[in-house]
Amino acid sequence: MTRVPLPPKSAETFQTVCQFCIVGCGYKVFKWPEGKSGAPEADGNALGIDFRQQQSADSIWISPNMHSVVTDKDGTRKNVVIIPDNECSVNGGLASVRGAGLAQTLYAPDRDTKARLKKPLLLGVNGHTDVDWDEAVDLGARVIKAVIDRWGPDAVGMKFFDHGGGGGGFENNWAVGRFFFSGIGTRLASIHNRPAYNSEVHAAGDAGLAPLTNGYVDARLADTIMVVGANPYETQTNYFLNHMILNLNSESAELKERTFAGEPSGSGRMIIVDPRRTMTVAAAEAAAGKENVLHLQIEPGTDIPLLNAIARVVLDKRWHDIAFVRQRAEWQTFEAYQRSSLGVDRPSAEFVGEAAAISDVNETDIYKAAEWIAEPKKGGARRRTLFHYEKGLIWGLKNYENIASIVDLALMTGNVGKPGTGCSRLGGHQEAYVRPPYPGGRPALNVDEAVRRGEAKVFWIGGCNPVLTTLRAEAMENALIERGASVRAVLEETKGKPVGERVVAVVEALKDGGMFILAQDLYMTASAQHAHVVLSAAGWGEMNLTSINGERRLRLYEQFMDPPGEALPDWKIMAKFANRLRELYEHDRNPLMANRFRDYSWRTDEDVFIHARYSFKGDGTDPMEGYAGLTYDLLRKLGNEGIQTPVRLVNGTPVGTPRLFENGRFGTPSGKARFIPAPRPWPGYGAGFERQRKNHRFWINNGRVNHIWQTLYHHQHIEFYRERYPMPCLEINPADASELAISSGDLLEISNDVGSVRAMAYITDAVKTNHAFMLFGQPRGAAGDLISDHVDPITTIPYYKGAWADIRRIGPAPEELKNVSFLFRNRVD
Amino acid sequence: MLTFDGFDTCRRFHNVLIVYCTDEYVLDMTIIKEAGMMDVKRRNFLKGGVASLAVASGLVGVDNQGVAEAATPQPENTYPTVDIAPLVSIPPGTEVAFDYPDEASPSVLLRLGKPAEGGIGPDKDIVAFSLLCTHKGCPLNYVADRKSLVCPCHWSSFDPSKGGRLVIGQASQSLPQMQLDIQDGMVRAVGLDGLIYGRHTNIL
Repeated sequence: MTRVPLPPKSAETFQTVCQFCIVGCGYKVFKWPEGKSGAPEADGNALGIDFRQQQSADSIWISPNMHSVVTDKDGTRKNVVIIPDNECSVNGGLASVRGAGLAQTLYAPDRDTKARLKKPLLLGVNGHTDVDWDEAVDLGARVIKAVIDRWGPDAVGMKFFDHGGGGGGFENNWAVGRFFFSGIGTRLASIHNRPAYNSEVHAAGDAGLAPLTNGYVDARLADTIMVVGANPYETQTNYFLNHMILNLNSESAELKERTFAGEPSGSGRMIIVDPRRTMTVAAAEAAAGKENVLHLQIEPGTDIPLLNAIARVVLDKRWHDIAFVRQRAEWQTFEAYQRSSLGVDRPSAEFVGEAAAISDVNETDIYKAAEWIAEPKKGGARRRTLFHYEKGLIWGLKNYENIASIVDLALMTGNVGKPGTGCSRLGGHQEAYVRPPYPGGRPALNVDEAVRRGEAKVFWIGGCNPVLTTLRAEAMENALIERGASVRAVLEETKGKPVGERVVAVVEALKDGGMFILAQDLYMTASAQHAHVVLSAAGWGEMNLTSINGERRLRLYEQFMDPPGEALPDWKIMAKFANRLRELYEHDRNPLMANRFRDYSWRTDEDVFIHARYSFKGDGTDPMEGYAGLTYDLLRKLGNEGIQTPVRLVNGTPVGTPRLFENGRFGTPSGKARFIPAPRPWPGYGAGFERQRKNHRFWINNGRVNHIWQTLYHHQHIEFYRERYPMPCLEINPADASELAISSGDLLEISNDVGSVRAMAYITDAVKTNHAFMLFGQPRGAAGDLISDHVDPITTIPYYKGAWADIRRIGPAPEELKNVSFLFRNRVD
Repeated sequence: MLTFDGFDTCRRFHNVLIVYCTDEYVLDMTIIKEAGMMDVKRRNFLKGGVASLAVASGLVGVDNQGVAEAATPQPENTYPTVDIAPLVSIPPGTEVAFDYPDEASPSVLLRLGKPAEGGIGPDKDIVAFSLLCTHKGCPLNYVADRKSLVCPCHWSSFDPSKGGRLVIGQASQSLPQMQLDIQDGMVRAVGLDGLIYGRHTNIL
């Protein structure tokens, strides 16, 4: 009989936050020896719950996936239970499908997570073999030094995580940033999911905004929530369920009345801009009533004309916040915005009509959206609108102008810095950015190109998997294989020889077009398998780390178990390399370079946290991550509520910031926000994409789905998740499927001029005809194989959502899909 | 009055004495002895009840270190057998509400009309599930036209033709599925795979 052991009162307890999405739900960890269980009586277990009775709905419950058994370094086996924290205001005791399985992600020698990397590895002709840390670090550091000395720092390329949550955190980010920027000094850096070292929201920064401006409470307070290019039910789950929904179903009405005395409120409305009819749309309609949800099902790449047309209607109706614009924004930028983005020299009806035609959204819906965003409420109070956007806009046709168009709309309607307002990314992963400045400029160097073309002599991949996630993914993999082959051969030939000789041989191979590859990860990923040196990293729960969530809530994620084998936290790996490079340069009598690798003598996770903390002043000028004055001790006391950054020091006491820009000062030299005028209302797809659109029938949208976190690096080792998506799904409309004689589960080939990929058909009315949607980074099929190497020239951000391809049925559902449900995923009844 | 006349009676015996059979802390040997069961079914009892017996006889006390977990899983026949409906009364498309394994656990039997994972009956299309959502315990609705079990609270949905697997939503396990059999034309629940929401073990 299935049963879960109950944590006894003597269980060790830890505070933590989910390792996955931006929302950062609070969780509680219980750990105690295997073979013991708390008693079911309320006073016999650590939860204080009488488990002799059936618990009512919405109570605390340990589902089987919330429990697993781990083995500590001393060989003792321990029960671990990880349950959502009902005292955390972020999730209020709710788990998402991902967070509820946290216990299953833990390393265990007797479960599939035994695939974790336990030791450093070196690649030879017959694959990887275990090596000691000293040997791996010595070889890697010597090759890096030789490359810096011969080709300069920009020949050392890297693609590294810069995020919070699992595998990230302020601690690891600081160590990585110091090593590559203050140490090596390379500009050939890129962030985990893209070809360059750049912001995904440069336009927001240029306007003086931060990526994350509001508190989650603002979603309970807003009159209207506008969500552009995001699907929060599936991918920011408990922000949606525990905050947005409470507004849409009127549960937060009383809070609104209390907060806005004398101002009409009532239940909230939601505008969703998404080419798909997602579960978010269905759930919002169920909570608010269809009359309070507006779904604008746009054509791909047409966000700019749509958002600008809405803004034009607001302007024509004189619903914009003229006082806010006059006092808080640079006026001349507002004038430029009206001229170039809103086409004020053209008749309004013509401008809106053109946008409607381009975006395939009804004109009446454009007017309705403008009303919901900005029409004054009864009595004249301004409507409070909270703007959210994510990858649909960020990975869209023109990254810079896409972001500008929503930021401009928010500024024009005065919806920043007040309760119930904001203009923020919804976010993917958590954040924890603290690094010395990137030495390069903007637009940043395209690392993917340098890897393919040969400028990168070293390529270090940290906590990411470009073979599955980057654009032209197959070309990336080919570059790793082909440019790595000669280095692999010389490592084999020089096996057992002195390390100096080996490095000389490697450098000869590099001269000849070779590339030395390092990978640092939890698992042997599709990218790591091509690496000459593989470095085994510790993960979530195996070190203390700190991160912020989508409302900048900073918390301590406590270590509660040992890393597998000899795996080390990323900061320790960076320190090992830095210390070795310092020794090598000292030996060379090169103090200039040796000094660049000084001060890596951290002993604890908190040492790194405090070291990084000195990047912040606490005087109100820090970036949104600023955490001046914080210590682990204080964060332990603050628990899963944590503190919202940026933190200011008031008489030495840390004070958090629930909402940015309440003082009306923005992040520009003048302190006033700037409108970012688009050069033209509609840039068009450009010649390359027009050609692809003409030659291939289907638009292949891509992204995440509810069950799955990123590339399934954990989830492919956990049956519950793996068996839901054993291969990438491709959502296709019933009419298209019928025309192509496709049934759900059929094996499909999707191909275009860039490449081809396979997926399982998932027939659904979520997508329009001639549209399709693919799970983006599944190990058995990467949407990136279809994505061209086009990037926005201003930001070096790819058009990841921009692929047109043909779909071909290549066979019936394979036997392994027999457990996969193909019921619609966008229904509430 | 308890008598023993073979396997089925034994199950009835378990059914009646459910609290004694499954709760490891109050297992009452005297009742087993009184029922004349000790010799015949002793092995089955002991398999699941080693720890329980030890607790009852004071060999292992409950201290703040917790009690020992059962050394082996409880045998399946600690589940009661519950009559749900005669096979003839459930044509394809039928849903039947019932409680299993006790009154606090609302469940549903579905005849889907197509073979289903774990299905029984002539068309292997009869399945039954716990109706408590494995996310937060709200009772699920059966949406007949889509053959889907959907939660009205946070909209998790489950596929009864695929072992109650989660289609979308925030639950972290499939719906607990009843083991069914058909005896003399009666569809009966005889066991359960998975853990019912709000419990640490299915038999309270």
